[in-house]
Amino acid sequence: MAESAVTVSELEKRYGDVQALRGVSFSVEPGEIYGLVGPNGAGKSTTLRTLATLLTVGGGDVSVFGADVESEPNEVRKRIRYLPEDAGSYDNLTGRQYLAFVADFYGGDPDALVERGIEIADLADRIESKTSEYSKGMTRKLLLASTIMTEPDLAILDEPTSGLDVENARAIRDIIKQFPGANRSVLLSSHNMLEVEYLCDRIGLLNEGEIVAEGPPREIIDRYDAENLEEAFLEAVA
Amino acid sequence: MNQFWRLLWKETRELLRPRYLLPILMIPIMFIALGQGIGGIEDGVDDQPSIGILNEDDGEYGDLVNASLSQNTSVVYYADSGDPASAIETVSEAGGDALIVIPDGFSERIRQRTAGSVGVHSVVRSLSLSGITSSAQIDGQIQRAGTVLTLNVTGTTPAMLSPIRPEYTTYLEERTLENTSPGALSGSFATQFIFIPVVIMFVIIFSGQMVINSMGAEKENKTLETLLTMPVKRSTIVAAKLIGSASIGLLGAALYTVSIYYYQSSFTDGAASAALSLGVVDYAIVGVSLFLSLVGVLALALILGVFAGDRQGAQMLLFPISILAIVPMFATMFTDVAQLSLPIRAILLAIPFTHPAIAPKRLLLNDTTMVFGGIVYEAIFAAAMIWLAIRVFNSDRLITGSSGRIGQWLSRLQQ
Repeated sequence: MAESAVTVSELEKRYGDVQALRGVSFSVEPGEIYGLVGPNGAGKSTTLRTLATLLTVGGGDVSVFGADVESEPNEVRKRIRYLPEDAGSYDNLTGRQYLAFVADFYGGDPDALVERGIEIADLADRIESKTSEYSKGMTRKLLLASTIMTEPDLAILDEPTSGLDVENARAIRDIIKQFPGANRSVLLSSHNMLEVEYLCDRIGLLNEGEIVAEGPPREIIDRYDAENLEEAFLEAVA
Repeated sequence: MNQFWRLLWKETRELLRPRYLLPILMIPIMFIALGQGIGGIEDGVDDQPSIGILNEDDGEYGDLVNASLSQNTSVVYYADSGDPASAIETVSEAGGDALIVIPDGFSERIRQRTAGSVGVHSVVRSLSLSGITSSAQIDGQIQRAGTVLTLNVTGTTPAMLSPIRPEYTTYLEERTLENTSPGALSGSFATQFIFIPVVIMFVIIFSGQMVINSMGAEKENKTLETLLTMPVKRSTIVAAKLIGSASIGLLGAALYTVSIYYYQSSFTDGAASAALSLGVVDYAIVGVSLFLSLVGVLALALILGVFAGDRQGAQMLLFPISILAIVPMFATMFTDVAQLSLPIRAILLAIPFTHPAIAPKRLLLNDTTMVFGGIVYEAIFAAAMIWLAIRVFNSDRLITGSSGRIGQWLSRLQQ
């Protein structure tokens, strides 16, 4: 059996007096798009940041392709790329320069990575403009391109289409949908139920730091005898 | 390019942007402009003043004053009679600054061994430093003419006009300085002990500012999280930030140093007394002390920068570092740390930036214990700060910005 891309077991996290995660467990298999779905403050970003080695593990075990995020963070970082929810780029660089800066940190031919990034970003001539002149949608496209151009084994995407207009959100979704391969997985978070229904092979419904339901979107909808994922979520947390 | 150099290049490029460079460049330009202005005034002092002479006296002493003035000034008008009010107009039109009136009977008064008066009618064209210096020059020339008269009337020698020549021996703590007056010591002090602490203060504040800006920009541009998840060790990121900021900080400090030196040398002749001077080894020791201090301040600034939400917040966080840099500077300028009371001395010596500031003075007084003790203290402080910076970079605080218990106490205090 192939090694899981992500294994999260009884993950707990506390910020001062606030218990953000209460024993979250799930796994992501190679080739899969897995979505963490839930309202604001449910613990989605905390979970993704822990997997991205940005936050320490409060309790439980978290590993990426068998590497423990606490004891082997550099091994984890070699296998992943992380796109934060509200990320920006260095505004004194052009789009091309930003892609080149990122590409340089990864093995292989940086020029080829940059060309792939330019193709994914699809910004035409604006790739030569300073990123300070980009709209939010353009910045998001550039960052997503920089995330997946290196073909990471696991792309962790926090609210990838948050705050974008319909056209840009759709373009981003199409890029994500095409990304997974036999050994490439995506773990994303979203509070957009329609989006995860369209994108994800499996989802985990996260509420107040706990996974209340897990499975393929269609199966969850059927499980709660709901019309859509939104209704299923409300049933699950009721 | 390996990861460290790539990150270092990114840091340097970020910090070399106009928004950071312009303030650094503005102040040195201002100092150089001020220095040029003051230098211009002093050049004017060296020029011969232009005057007019109205010599109404027909005796030999009036002629002697006239001859002395004519030799040392540029005479634009001469007459042996006339109205001073109309003469001064002619002098002014000819570009002169003053009219010297030697009245009738001047020689007679000198012969009677009484002081003779001369009228000085001055034209002040602007109420400024340069406008008023010409008056001092003319006074100097009148004094000179007076000396010529004294020598001529009394038949004495120039040495007898100043018959006592003091030979100074000054005792400074355990040192005996031959042929050095307290005034000469003061000149030496001004160039070496005021200048060095000021430079040290600039190095500390600039470098601190750069590293805090770097962190503030990462937070403001929301690039930090992406950077931290790249396959780079946190210690490499910390090192690139410290060295990148230190390079720009040192560049800024070098510019300030040159401009302040230029500004200061416009006041002094640059050849201040060598009564007290540091040797090459002394400067090397001061350099080590300054380097360790710099490493400590950069790491401290990096830690503070973690809690900055944006560039504006980063500037506010620089305030405690600025205070820590300014206090030792003033303490070194106006007092001798070794002479202070024990509690105040302990507080000052606890500030790591005090040690490079006091090192030159202590080395001159052969107090190497305090200097080397300071270097050990600074090394411990720098190592502790780097350790703490790496720990903070490996903690949740970098992402959450949480200031831990201190933050909780402050929140409770606000409530």
